[in-house]
Formats: sequence, structure tokens, C-alpha cells
Amino acid sequence: MKKIIEPKNLMLGIWKENPIFYLMLGLCPLLAVSGSLRDALGMGAAFIFVLLGSNITVSVIRKIVPAHVRIPVFIVVIATFVSVIDYSLAAFSPQLHKNLGVYLPLMVVNCILLGRAEAFASKNNVINSALDGIGMGIGFTMAILIIASIRELLGQGTLFGINMLGDNYLPFLIMIMPPGAFIVIGFLIAIKNSIGGKKKC
Amino acid sequence: MKKKDIIAGIVVLLSISVLSGFLLAQAYRLTKPKIEEQKKIEEERLNREIFNEGIKFSQDKVKERPCTAVYKENGELAGWIFDLKTTGYGGNILIKAGFDSDMKIRGIRILEHTETPGLGSKITDTKFLGQFKGMEPSVLYLKKDKSEGLIDGITGATISSRAVTESVRKLQEELE
Repeated sequence: MKKIIEPKNLMLGIWKENPIFYLMLGLCPLLAVSGSLRDALGMGAAFIFVLLGSNITVSVIRKIVPAHVRIPVFIVVIATFVSVIDYSLAAFSPQLHKNLGVYLPLMVVNCILLGRAEAFASKNNVINSALDGIGMGIGFTMAILIIASIRELLGQGTLFGINMLGDNYLPFLIMIMPPGAFIVIGFLIAIKNSIGGKKKC
Repeated sequence: MKKKDIIAGIVVLLSISVLSGFLLAQAYRLTKPKIEEQKKIEEERLNREIFNEGIKFSQDKVKERPCTAVYKENGELAGWIFDLKTTGYGGNILIKAGFDSDMKIRGIRILEHTETPGLGSKITDTKFLGQFKGMEPSVLYLKKDKSEGLIDGITGATISSRAVTESVRKLQEELE
């Protein structure tokens, strides 16, 4: 039987089953918000909070939720956490709230959140679900930070808004646009696969 | 599906929704005053950025257009700030346009916009907005649109830069 605490659940999301590079879920906010490091960091933090909250809640209520209503219940849980984050950011960090724009409320339909609720939290105990939430959250945040630093550096010549490549640097426009994110993700997945943990068909 | 299962589903979904509705109401109630405060702070910050000598701001009208009159410390009128709304590439752009008391452009700021991050969002940069200071309507065109134009558009964001330029020019023509 499953143990009460399995630390490997934490590591799974960070490397081997990274939501972006392995599961390839949640690419929409990734494309949209990875243009600058500052926004990516905010998105990652909001994401960890929501994923942790929804995983824990789903795990707590998993035994009382009948199978045929589980998806709407999970969505309601996720939407609640997302709205709380939305209000809090508007109140305490308006600039970040402005930059994340529509992608923050869109987290409600994010497939990583629903995917982890359905595939993990609804079948595992609270502690393991929390570990999974943190792991997947960190995995997502790492992925978005790596992609954002590459895109911001090549697309604008800056990191965290600080000029890195000098005034004569001519930015790659495509890097700030969504196709730039696809190209970067493609390269990063190729690198990850060559290191190990190749996806089996 | 048995009747019992259907009822169980309804009860669970309903109670989760009620609980979440209650939590949301609390979160909204707690953050609302703070959110409104932030909006006001942002507006005031922009007003002060345009008129750094401004001490008193009050509602006013110039040629039937509602605006904010700005007064200096000695009670003298410094100028007016107009709120403009225009459509850019990704939705509405809210602009604050500051005019000196002799109706010369003092400064332009962007209050709200939903332009493409990294491209159109650069309309908020001082590099772009700084060009408007002291401009006449006759030269308030993008350089690429008209030969007399003196405004450098933003690379890859012509629509956003044009929207801001046109909107400010139209206001200035109206006020003349």
C-alpha cells in the first residue's frame, strides 16, 4: 500500500514529470507570461499557491465527492483559489496584477491544476497531495523562469528589466512574441530529453 | 444511476459551491477597499508625475470637457489634466494628458492598457511618451504616417503608438 509520506512525490514534478517539459500541460499561460522575468516570477508564485491549495482541498474532500460530479467540484475549488489570488494581487501588487492581465483568471481552466487534482490529489492523501502540489508548482515556476530569462535576454536584451547586452543590441522581435516561446520550449525539451528521462511512447 | 447517487452529487456540489461563495465574498470584502485605494494612488501618482509642482487638484471643465485643474503652491493655475480613452491593438487605452496653462502639452501618461506585453506595452515607456512634450497638433503624427510628423513609433507596435498619438492630437485640436 501507499505510504503516508512519500518524498519522491515532491521531486517528480520538479524534474522527471515536469509539467511543462514532460507532461506538456499549461502551455497557454507559459506562452503569454514568459516574455519577462518579473511577470514569470509572479505567475509562478501565484501558481504554486493555487496548486497547493487546490491539491490539499481536493484531497481532503476526495472521499465525499461522488465520481460523477468530481470535475465541476474540482473546478469550483480551483476557481475559488484563483479568485482569492486575483483579488489579493489587485490589492497588494497592482503592477503585477496589471502585467499578468487576463492570464491570472484564466488559471481556472489551466490543465495542470485540473490534471493534478484529477490524476493525483483525488487518489492520494493530503500530505502526498501537498508535496505533489509544491513539486509541480516549483517545476512550473522553474520552467517559466528559464524560458522567460532566455526570451527576455534575446527579445529585449534585459534581465528583470536591467539592460544586459548594451544599447547597440538589436533584439529578436520574435522572442517576445508567442512563437518565440514555442521555439525556446522546443529546444529546452530536446535538451531535457538528451540528459535523461525521455518520454516513452 | 441510482436516485441516491444523484442526490448525493447535488448535495456535495451545492455545499461546495455555497462554501466557496462564502469564502469569495469574504475575500472580496477584505480586499475591496485596498483595491480602490490602489486605483486612486495610481491616478494621483500619474497626476503628480505630470505636474510635479502640483499641490491642489480639483474638478474643472475646459470647453465643455471635464478635466482636473492643477494648482501650484502659490495658488496659481499650473494646467489641466484630461482623461482620454482610445482603442489600441488589444483593447482600450486610458490616457492622461497634461496641458500647461498656455495649452502646450506638458506630459502624457498611460493609466491602463491591454496591449501586447513587450511590444504595444512599451507605450508606457518615457522614451515614447517623452516625445509629446510641447508638440503642436500639426506635427503630432507618427513619422512613418506623415512627413511633418515628429513622433517615433514603437517598433512592432505601430497601431498602439498611432492610437495614442491620434487621440492626443484630436484632443489638442479640440482645445485650440
